[in-house]
Amino acid sequence: MSAAESATSIQKNQVDLLDFIDWSGLECLNQSSSHSLSNALKQGYREDEGLNLESDADEQLLIYIPFTQVIKLHSIVVTGSEEEGPKTVKLFANREHMGFSNVSDFPPSDTAVLSPDNLKGKPVVLKYVKFQNVRSLTIFIEDNQSSSEITKVQKIALYGSTVETTDMKGLKKIEDH
Amino acid sequence: MVLEATMICIDNSEWMRNGDYAPSRFQAQADAVNLICGAKTQSNPENTVGVLTMAGKGVRVLVTPTSDLGKILACMHGLEIGGEMNLAAGIQVAQLALKHRQNKKQQQRIIVFAGSPVMHDKKALEVIGKKLKKNSVALDIVNFGEDDEGKTEKLEALLAAVNNNDTSHIVHVPAGPNALSDVLISTPIFTGDGEGGSGFAASAAAAAAGGVSGFEFGVDPNLDPELALALRVSMEEERARQEAAAKKAAEEASEQDATMTEHASEGPSGADNKKNEIPDDDNTLLQQALAMSVDEPASTQDLQDTEMSDAAAEDPDLALALQLSVQESTKDSSSEADMSKLLADQSFVSSILASLPGVDPNDPSVKEMLASMQNQSESQQKQDEDKAPEKKEEKEEKEEK
Repeated sequence: MSAAESATSIQKNQVDLLDFIDWSGLECLNQSSSHSLSNALKQGYREDEGLNLESDADEQLLIYIPFTQVIKLHSIVVTGSEEEGPKTVKLFANREHMGFSNVSDFPPSDTAVLSPDNLKGKPVVLKYVKFQNVRSLTIFIEDNQSSSEITKVQKIALYGSTVETTDMKGLKKIEDH
Repeated sequence: MVLEATMICIDNSEWMRNGDYAPSRFQAQADAVNLICGAKTQSNPENTVGVLTMAGKGVRVLVTPTSDLGKILACMHGLEIGGEMNLAAGIQVAQLALKHRQNKKQQQRIIVFAGSPVMHDKKALEVIGKKLKKNSVALDIVNFGEDDEGKTEKLEALLAAVNNNDTSHIVHVPAGPNALSDVLISTPIFTGDGEGGSGFAASAAAAAAGGVSGFEFGVDPNLDPELALALRVSMEEERARQEAAAKKAAEEASEQDATMTEHASEGPSGADNKKNEIPDDDNTLLQQALAMSVDEPASTQDLQDTEMSDAAAEDPDLALALQLSVQESTKDSSSEADMSKLLADQSFVSSILASLPGVDPNDPSVKEMLASMQNQSESQQKQDEDKAPEKKEEKEEKEEK
């Protein structure tokens, strides 16, 4: 499977979930104040190679992304530099307000170990069945490629689809008899 | 107005028996804790505060973060002093208590009162600090009481490890006449990260320091800008009115005072006061123009003084001298004419100007002004002369009657 093929398989029925992220509820623990989460998530910022999300006190990062509606998550793209890019990434679906102390309390919905290919942009396909009904996603970056003090993430992109939701505008009042 | 959950770590070790902070270190600490709780709950009603003790038998949480001030005050009663403070354990338990706060949206903050010597080494404290920073917990340290070697250094290192964007602070409170709470009120621990002072802090500061608050007129301009502005304007108006009254009294004061220096101080200082009170206002010029047209000697006097003030440099000492001279002099009017005569004396005037700093009597503009003044004083003298016979006539009429 070439990189192009996997890219098209994403685009078949999956969309970039950027539009469904609830930006007001975004949280990131242990990020450096000058290199924050929006550098990795926001359109435009994440393409810019100079703008990264960096960790602060140590190399771990805990990112919490709530969504505005329920989604199914198919795959993610995490890019970064070869040395300081993330290695082990654990994903938790629908767990609110996690801290570094309880990341090991329950098993992650999926774990990904990023290869250098992934860091260049190759998507990581996830266990789709685990992410059928996702309201919020927690990404725990446990370590980086070279075990350095700081982890640098250039881009995080999420691909998936929305669950059928009710279009409130379509609701019509039933006439009372 | 930050939504915050705070854990206060109290030092109730043996070292708190000491009386170098009135009435005792422990009592001073308790007062400070009460004030902090009040300030936090007042700045945002959804804030919660919890308390734990670090010494005694071990670290003990007295009350988990709550917004109920009564509960917090009640738990401060009956606390016993004893044992040694365990700073590391205290901070870690505080962190745990904050983790289990009910409202996860609250920011986490720990306030530590470090009164006794710190047993842990710098490395251990730095590790703790890093962990706090990683979990985005802010830390405020109140360093008081014992000051053994390295304690300050260790606490500073702890702060450096925790500090993220200046959300954490350390305050060193030396023993002295000021109460611990009073010193804390002015610190960022109370005022909360540069919000400009909560109303509680400002009023508490005013009460505690006996009316000497950090803000002008005791009103926080951030809290109540209109009130502060109104107070400031009325103060300035009052000052202007007082200066006008003082200047008038100075004008009516007699020139028959022997000392030239007094006149010298009166003249330019009267001008200075004029300058101070109405600095180049359009209103002033209009008033003067009106007054001139009405032909009152007093107003032309003012005009002379204003012109002089334009040339004169600002000198607060002269203003002070004027105030003193006003208090001293008790003489009557009829000195207006004398005053103008005095000003007309060009040599006298130039000598005054020469004594003023920043004024060069050879300056062409100064010379021009002097010339105009002289003309005016001459015209005024004529007026006075005209008026004098008028007055005499009136008197004669009265006498006849």
